[in-house]
Amino acid sequence: MNRKHNTTVLTIMRSALAALAVAGLIACTTGQGGHASAGKPAADVAKKELKYRDYNVVLVSFDALQAAHVHSLGYPRDITPTIDAMAGQGFNFTNAISVASWTVPASMTWFTGVYPSEHRLTNKFAVYEPPLTKLSNLKELSPNIMTLAEVLKQNGYATGGFTGNAGVNGFFGYGQGFDVYSFEKGKFGSMDQSVPKALEWLAANKDKKFFLFLHGYDIHGQNVPAGGFDYRFVDKGYDKRYSGSREEQEALREEGLEKGELKLRDEDVKFWRAIYDEKISRTDARFKEFLQEFDKLGLTGKTIFVLTSDHGTEFYEHRHFDHGFSLYDELIHVPLVIKLPGVTAGKAIADQVSSLDVMPTILDLLDVRMPEAAKNQLRGASLAPALKGETVAKDVYSETDYRLYTYKRSVITKDGWKFIYTLENKQRELYNLKNDPAETANLVEKEPRLAYELEQKLFGHFKSIGHDLTARQWVTGLNPVYDSQAKGASKK
Amino acid sequence: MRTRAGRHRLNALTAFLLMCCTAGMPAQAAQPASAPSPALHEYANVILVSLQCLRPDHLGTYGYQRDVSRNIDALARRSVVFENAIAQASLTPVAQMSILTSQYARIHGMVSFEVAKDQVTPRSLPEILKFYGYTNTAVISSPEFFVRFNSATGTTINTGDVYSRSFDEVVNTRRGLGPRNIRKIPDESLEWIRANKDGKFFLWIASGLLHMPYGAAVPEQHRARFDPPGYTPFWKRLPQLPREVASNPDPAYNVLSRVYRNEFFWEFAPVYRLQPEDIAYVNARYDAGVFYTDRFIGELVKLLDELGLTEKTLVVLHSSHGDDLGERDGFFHYDVTEGVVRDALIVQFPGREFGGRRVPQQVQSIDIMPTVLDYLGIPSPHEAQGGSLMPLVRGERTSAPSEYAYIDRIPWWEYTLSKWYLEFQGGRGAHFAVSERPALKEYQAMLRRNFDPLGYPPGDIAIRTNEWKLIVRKDLEMLNRVSWWSFITGKRHDVAEIELYDLKNDPTEQVNVAAKHPEVVAKLKEKVLAWDRSVEKRKARYEKNDTRFIIPYP
Repeated sequence: MNRKHNTTVLTIMRSALAALAVAGLIACTTGQGGHASAGKPAADVAKKELKYRDYNVVLVSFDALQAAHVHSLGYPRDITPTIDAMAGQGFNFTNAISVASWTVPASMTWFTGVYPSEHRLTNKFAVYEPPLTKLSNLKELSPNIMTLAEVLKQNGYATGGFTGNAGVNGFFGYGQGFDVYSFEKGKFGSMDQSVPKALEWLAANKDKKFFLFLHGYDIHGQNVPAGGFDYRFVDKGYDKRYSGSREEQEALREEGLEKGELKLRDEDVKFWRAIYDEKISRTDARFKEFLQEFDKLGLTGKTIFVLTSDHGTEFYEHRHFDHGFSLYDELIHVPLVIKLPGVTAGKAIADQVSSLDVMPTILDLLDVRMPEAAKNQLRGASLAPALKGETVAKDVYSETDYRLYTYKRSVITKDGWKFIYTLENKQRELYNLKNDPAETANLVEKEPRLAYELEQKLFGHFKSIGHDLTARQWVTGLNPVYDSQAKGASKK
Repeated sequence: MRTRAGRHRLNALTAFLLMCCTAGMPAQAAQPASAPSPALHEYANVILVSLQCLRPDHLGTYGYQRDVSRNIDALARRSVVFENAIAQASLTPVAQMSILTSQYARIHGMVSFEVAKDQVTPRSLPEILKFYGYTNTAVISSPEFFVRFNSATGTTINTGDVYSRSFDEVVNTRRGLGPRNIRKIPDESLEWIRANKDGKFFLWIASGLLHMPYGAAVPEQHRARFDPPGYTPFWKRLPQLPREVASNPDPAYNVLSRVYRNEFFWEFAPVYRLQPEDIAYVNARYDAGVFYTDRFIGELVKLLDELGLTEKTLVVLHSSHGDDLGERDGFFHYDVTEGVVRDALIVQFPGREFGGRRVPQQVQSIDIMPTVLDYLGIPSPHEAQGGSLMPLVRGERTSAPSEYAYIDRIPWWEYTLSKWYLEFQGGRGAHFAVSERPALKEYQAMLRRNFDPLGYPPGDIAIRTNEWKLIVRKDLEMLNRVSWWSFITGKRHDVAEIELYDLKNDPTEQVNVAAKHPEVVAKLKEKVLAWDRSVEKRKARYEKNDTRFIIPYP
């Protein structure tokens, strides 16, 4: 039931007409003030230079927010009014694809503008041969890479990061370039903690130009709201086989990995989606409070907002739970909203773009002086032309090396063909996202030539960025990323 | 010529890019304003002519003086001739698989005669061409490519082996099991072309006619045409040889495998020193095979001209590997000598484009497939280890993709002996002196002990440039212990761990100059060992339950 429903949502989102339909939906449902009538027409943007020198930037990551669960991206349940309002006033990229399907590699790409293979934070550990273990760290793995925060700091920005820790913790080097970078050690922390700290920092720095990174794990499977769930979206008749705890979620993830697939009842999947929706709606409300406080500081008119997520999450779409282990759309299709100050009538942009484009877009909009090193480093492209109505659609590449359990690489062509290659077993998958957005029918045998050519394109791409995938053997082993995943040998 | 080549390449590229951008869209949406001319893979045929044991230096176009190859020479004049093409291995199934997959032996996994269908998984040229709508046919007249024998069950497997994969049709031209007729000219291919001239095809013509016993498959009227006048084979003149050896009508394995450095060994002693006319006789019989093969090539080229196919057919004629004809150690393809690793490589492009060009740069046989695909406008598979030679053919670059060629002596000749010759022929003992038979039994047992049935023999590797060849024996101890030369001479063989040959001044590799050029040794050794490590890391692996096959020779 849920699965079928979700397929419908994705189908709508993927069709070319969907963009228009979604735009209409936003126009009708935007709850907050200042849309079409009050705002400037989007046509004005086309003429603007789109340079926001010395403006502020707030980058928000709603960790693990699946695009298909965002109302303004087509989800029927109205659980994201704040995000939707910003999407309605700003630019809503309806086909934004993350470079990876879990936090550590995916998030670092916003800050470096390069693929995970290049920034090299592809696993929690740079060395994992117990008892010898060594955490991955950006400065050690990729000493020559400049971060977004470093570039902005060089340009006189105050830089502050306020996060829920875990995948974006400072030990990995996420704090590189930030004046202040806060994370709650050992936790999948909530915006309940990161928002007040961010507001405190903003109050102290509001007269400077600033770059704020705000992050919370509120939506993530390993986070449970303070005070527990109120089960607002759960069917009354549910038999409570599950309660929504993080232990249950973790057990489901591990069972899926160990057995190869889960067997869940429809009502359980529906339950988990309801739990997910409760987390999303609570987070959206929390974010609304942040925006109100932000506005009180008088910063709204000189701040660019970028809302996104590092990756989605799976609720049984491909018989698994959680994320990291695949590159299906439920894990890599993410929301991406850019809200420009002074622009209040935005539009939906259906062009396929990558999370790789976030850093060049921010730097382009802020019109900062780019150090040569950073210029040469960036793999993506500014999305500013898209804001002016130009086409920015591109083929996008994603990758995941998940706990040494699997190594996958994918390409999605801008016209909707998706090819996934699993390195350890040479498994190949080809999907036509237009006809099969749920990625259920592998067309490798039916379209051998296309599969062959996309495979060469995928390998050619990674070779071109200095990662020849054929140059090594890909051996698997279920190594942990977090302590909660460590079992047996890894605990010794 | 250049302009035309440029256009072809551009069109192919454009077509590929268009395909990538527009796949899945309705056809009319993908139509640009003016229709481009079609990519070559949309109409061009490919014919791959693989000749086992063909030595380029026995062809006129490569400088041979005897008149044996008028037709191949004529073809060469309208083709691109690669003057220094190098095989990746010394045995046909292994070396040929490198050509069809563009991979080194240990990567493609066809490392002996014993590899089963599903064990060689890399994409092959016919498999890729099939994606592009080619009809694939193989006409094979060599036992090294088809009939397989499962040693465990005693059954013969006719099709479905590694080499018939991805072919719509395999024309088996093997006639029977008699010693003189297992190999023949694959002239069924001519009928096939006539019948299929209107389709788009990939035709693989593989011939083992040049393989020893030399000249055996050549019809009577041509077989002796180059023989020294009045010559009697030396093995017919040695009274101590049993009938089974002395009666060999051709220069056969039973005889020539006992020649080491021009001495014929019997009962572990040199009993006859080969004279120049003995060597000349073996070469004459080999040349009779070249002559007879050349007639077939002439018919093939003529037919393509007659049918108008020359305009749209890419013809690649190449050696699977060469052969030793008594220059140094002995005969056949025992080691990675120049005789064995140097290949003929002649490519006639559609419309005879680039005809007459000669490429002196060293190229490897793994470059053939990327070249064919590049020319047709098809992307090479990422597993390909060779590179396209088209930039070299077009004169767009002068450096070859393979300044260094890498060769795996895999499997060791002795490994192969332990499986087929000694088990099925020598095992019967008839080709050995009575006094040799106890030692033969021990030798067989020793080989079985030394070769892991699921593993690889230790590395016997070589690196080659147009100036130097360096050979590294990674397990010298084992090599000398199992050596066939140790067995027939009755004296422990003593090959050097490192051999360096100055190919310019010593093309038949008579003098190991490793001690004289330590700096060359150091540089080449470092390179070949780095290559060896990279290959070893990713080599194909075999499991305990994998079925192994062998090819029995009659």
